[in-house]
Amino acid sequence: MLWALLGLGAGFTAIPLFTESDYLLNLGVQLFLAVALAQSWNVLGGFTGQITLGHAAFFGLGALVTRTLWGNGVGILLAIIPGILVCIAFSLLIGGLAFRLRGDYFAIGTLALAEMLRIIVGNLLPGISTIPSTALTNYALLPRYYLGLALAALVVGVAAALARSRIGLGMQAIREDEAAAAASGVGVLGHKLLALVISTGLAGFAGGVFAYYHASYYPQYPFSPLWSFEAILMSFIGGVGTVHGPVLGALFYTILKEYLAVRLVEIHLLIFGTLFILIVLLLPGGLVEVWTRFRRLVHRGS
Amino acid sequence: MALLSLENVSKTFGGVMAVKSVSLQVEPGEVLGVMGPNGSGKTTLFNLVSGALVPNSGTIRFKGAPITGLPPHRICRQGIARTFQLVRPFLGLTARQNILVGLGYGCRPLSGSAAREKSEELLASVGLEGLGDRPASTLTAMDRKRLDLARALATSPDLLLLDEFMAGLNPQETSEAMGLIRRLQARGLTLVLVEHIVWALLELSQRIVVLSAGEKIAEGPPTAIARDPRVVEIYLGSIPFP
Repeated sequence: MLWALLGLGAGFTAIPLFTESDYLLNLGVQLFLAVALAQSWNVLGGFTGQITLGHAAFFGLGALVTRTLWGNGVGILLAIIPGILVCIAFSLLIGGLAFRLRGDYFAIGTLALAEMLRIIVGNLLPGISTIPSTALTNYALLPRYYLGLALAALVVGVAAALARSRIGLGMQAIREDEAAAAASGVGVLGHKLLALVISTGLAGFAGGVFAYYHASYYPQYPFSPLWSFEAILMSFIGGVGTVHGPVLGALFYTILKEYLAVRLVEIHLLIFGTLFILIVLLLPGGLVEVWTRFRRLVHRGS
Repeated sequence: MALLSLENVSKTFGGVMAVKSVSLQVEPGEVLGVMGPNGSGKTTLFNLVSGALVPNSGTIRFKGAPITGLPPHRICRQGIARTFQLVRPFLGLTARQNILVGLGYGCRPLSGSAAREKSEELLASVGLEGLGDRPASTLTAMDRKRLDLARALATSPDLLLLDEFMAGLNPQETSEAMGLIRRLQARGLTLVLVEHIVWALLELSQRIVVLSAGEKIAEGPPTAIARDPRVVEIYLGSIPFP
């Protein structure tokens, strides 16, 4: 199954060799951001079972730091790293506190924290943020495309490595039963904090790519809770807690959204909401489960 | 030296004293049974030893060193494992993964192919051979108990706490469970059993501690305990002779 992901990565690397369509490259960048958001959320929400509604805070924070530095003349690759570090530092600052909350309370608490940040940023930086003028004149899509692809590859690679590791198994044990995990030797708080650091650091990287890609936006826009909700939606559609699921979910979601948004404008949100409810109720394993069920059927048939 | 020793350990919940100044010792290699009616503090005692709860006063020593107040994962890594009264396997993981958690994080962590081999061995030792790839959620109640036990054993404990391992089993399953426990005993593992099925406890244990309302009221070999008037009283009530 890992080969499917590698093949997908190779395919996306090759696309710009065959087409110069701005439309496709733009769609590609959006897809990579979607994969990164969904998969980074999945590390904390899916593997470790800590359902956070505050993921956007770190996407926004990464975007804010990277954009500010980049706007002041720092090279983009160099500007992304402090964005990641600020996210990690902030997550450690709130992590000890947030993990005192469990289940629904953790979800609500993280949402409240993210909304506070969004409102603060909106008040402090009400003006629109525009790309530096030198960068605007020679804006090229291709470096954004490949940076986005590198981001998506990194995030998926980290998730895949985690899924095969002892630490990843410990995280899943915590998701299943905290007390039993602790009784089996798993340090619960340490594993949760590690999942948080990985998840938010990667979200910060995604924010940096967002800041590099978008010519102009309101600084509070990447803090919007919609980013968190989309990450959750994509993870659940594809298969929460798996490596392939969030990638599949992001592909499905980005393409369908592109198709629906043009034709149905606002109704498409209603469609995704309904889809989410249907998946949670009828197909808790997501699209990945369809595949495994199909394979089991084929095996039985042969 | 005792493997585990409790000195005047107490635990209160609100105004209720769940465990009142209990002292006891567990010698290496022995099987200690803990009995007492519902609410007498047996499970609380287990939770104190395994670190799920912290005592209000008293000291718990393991291999001579105090472990009072340590978090449960550290206590596990020192060599104390437990099963749960209501079994709690990781339902979303496969049986093998359940065991790999214990193997990876226990006293003598294993990884890679060594862990995989050991997991097969453990599956077989509790009677789950061939079920390694099954999600734990698809196992029967008895098989979940086996898995809970295998996961605890995977941490390579020196001391194993079994909390009502035989609760809810039918007679045939009960005798299977007793066979499992006897085999652990034969391997030299030190065991503390909490059990409601009194005859099974009397049969398996070398020594028994009786709790009532959080206090230790009797201690001794099974034959003496079965005849102890204080024990008979808490189970059957005092018989008013004319």
